[in-house]
Amino acid sequence: MEAIITQFLNGFSVVAILMIAAVGLAIIFGVAGVINMAHGEFIMVGAYTAAVVGQLGGNTFIAIPVAFFVVGLMGLIVERGIIQWIYERPLETLLATWGVGIILQVVMKLIFGPELYYVGAPKVLDGGFRVIGLLPFPWYRLFLIILAIALMVITYLLLFKTDLGLKVRAVRRNRSMSGCLGVDTAKVDMVIFAFGSGLAGVAGAALAPIKSVSTTMGFPYAVDSFMVLVLGGVGSLWGVVAGSALIGEAETILSFIYNNVIGKLLVFIFIVLAIRVFPKGLFGYHERS
Amino acid sequence: MNDRQVYKAPMFPLWAIIAAIGIVFAIATYPYYGAAYVTSLLGKFLCFAIFALSIDLIWGFTGILSLGQGVYFGIGAYFTALSLKINYAAVNPTRYGGTIPDFMEWNGLTEIPGFMEPLISLPFAVAAGLFFATLLAFIFGVITFKRHIYGVYCAVITLAESLILQEAIIEYQAYTGGFNGITDYGTHADINVLWLILVVTIIFFAIGRLLTHSRMGTILKSIRDNDTRAEFMGYNVANYRIFVFCISSFMAATAGAMYAAWNGIISFLDAGPVFSIEGVIWTAVGGRGTVIGPFIGAFLVKGAEFFLSGKLAWTWQLIMGGLFIFVVLYMRDGIVGTIGKWWSARRKHVPVSELIEEADALAADRQKDYRPGQSKGPTEI
Repeated sequence: MEAIITQFLNGFSVVAILMIAAVGLAIIFGVAGVINMAHGEFIMVGAYTAAVVGQLGGNTFIAIPVAFFVVGLMGLIVERGIIQWIYERPLETLLATWGVGIILQVVMKLIFGPELYYVGAPKVLDGGFRVIGLLPFPWYRLFLIILAIALMVITYLLLFKTDLGLKVRAVRRNRSMSGCLGVDTAKVDMVIFAFGSGLAGVAGAALAPIKSVSTTMGFPYAVDSFMVLVLGGVGSLWGVVAGSALIGEAETILSFIYNNVIGKLLVFIFIVLAIRVFPKGLFGYHERS
Repeated sequence: MNDRQVYKAPMFPLWAIIAAIGIVFAIATYPYYGAAYVTSLLGKFLCFAIFALSIDLIWGFTGILSLGQGVYFGIGAYFTALSLKINYAAVNPTRYGGTIPDFMEWNGLTEIPGFMEPLISLPFAVAAGLFFATLLAFIFGVITFKRHIYGVYCAVITLAESLILQEAIIEYQAYTGGFNGITDYGTHADINVLWLILVVTIIFFAIGRLLTHSRMGTILKSIRDNDTRAEFMGYNVANYRIFVFCISSFMAATAGAMYAAWNGIISFLDAGPVFSIEGVIWTAVGGRGTVIGPFIGAFLVKGAEFFLSGKLAWTWQLIMGGLFIFVVLYMRDGIVGTIGKWWSARRKHVPVSELIEEADALAADRQKDYRPGQSKGPTEI
């Protein structure tokens, strides 16, 4: 039983990682309606940014804002260059962004070479603290949990307490009507895509210390994020929280009891059955069309 | 409008039959005069073409984008390869004298596990592979399509499905060969197998044409273009989707089974998401919504890959990535679709799409006083 509790606590950090990785994708999909298949590669670029910052003597705290701007800028370029022409065709956006992902992988491999990079956690966050009777809990994982909460709060504030957020929500509810009322919907899409990409960069920078940085590191995170969206529902921050919490905890505990693959398989079956009951996800938003 | 005629192509146009006979003859006799390397590629490409056709049926004609079609290909391939391997190992002892597949030996198994014993019979193994693939597609279809889950959701779920299958294959290496895949199970790349592959290809392309160039095909395309309208007209959209999904997975599994026999090596990559998405791009390049498009796309893209990737692997990947973007942005109809449009414009036959546009414009004129909702412009074909 104690082992299960340990796994439950470890699960919190998995949940936090899922939340960090998924929130950017959730915003893009929720507002602009496109799935960014290059999300994993955006995370990867964020991680490489952290590696570069690390070699220049910075640490994760510096890398996170830098990665936000680097990857956000990249998202802006991708949106202006490709995605703005194909918002009407979401399925084809999948293919185009998959192509972007392949190109990013090749380019990063050409720049940084095939070897793995390791990014250390900041000195302040070395070591861990001991919960009585349980295994030590690393400080860095606690930092990830705090970061996940902070990202959710920032996103919430942006969406619900700012002028831009008001426009974003209006576009999401009724695109043509908000266009009629003078909202520049294309600009909203652009800003949201860049912001969501920036969040992917933050995810990459934050995850770099717990994972070796390679060009193919992003894809599993992307798929996990997709699953979070499918389960939690699109267009709601609570959906991201609930999806991450369910998937993260279930996967950690099931993987501990059986093994990694069976854990994933069971969670996948659970997700498919769950959307059979809630086709829009747990916190899905019912479009009024 | 009445003085013009709508051109409807015959089920199998004469020129297509003649061209097909020529191509089939060329491929069937190629081993007698051609290079062995190219022959081996031909067999592979035919399997890939069937795989692309299976994607075309669900994506190009019905509008379901599956990014996990490799799952069905992989199931067919693994059942066949396991059966061949078990039989091969029984008569060709491994280095340590065992008569079970080498990857089982390495993982501490001393005999073939009970649940794998039926696979000793090759026909049963192939049949089981096809059956399980179709069954899986059926279950998946019932769960999702019956609840109106399609589009992006479907794409993402199928993608995860193939990723999980890939991880399962790697994890259970005692039964699947794991990371190394299944290798060394004898050579089956002889001319009879090539002919078998060719015959199956012809049958599947005929089936694809029959399915899509009939009443059924019209319904499928209407589901693709506007499923709500199709549903209002009284068609059971979910059942049509499930039916096509099952047919398509059956085709993919058959392609996988033949690929395993022909290629002589199978790995987790053949069931993975990357392979699945590659199949989608073959279809897109060749021309989705046409039966011959996937065939051409698979041969062109895969052929280019085999001749270019030898030089510098990363340039090919770069080209591949660019191809995804290019096809989506500039060549939506693919090669065949673009040529077909140009041709029908030249022949001065009014394409159906134009007639629909005209009818839409007329209807819009009549409704000028009252038009609810936003105008979406002419119906897209």
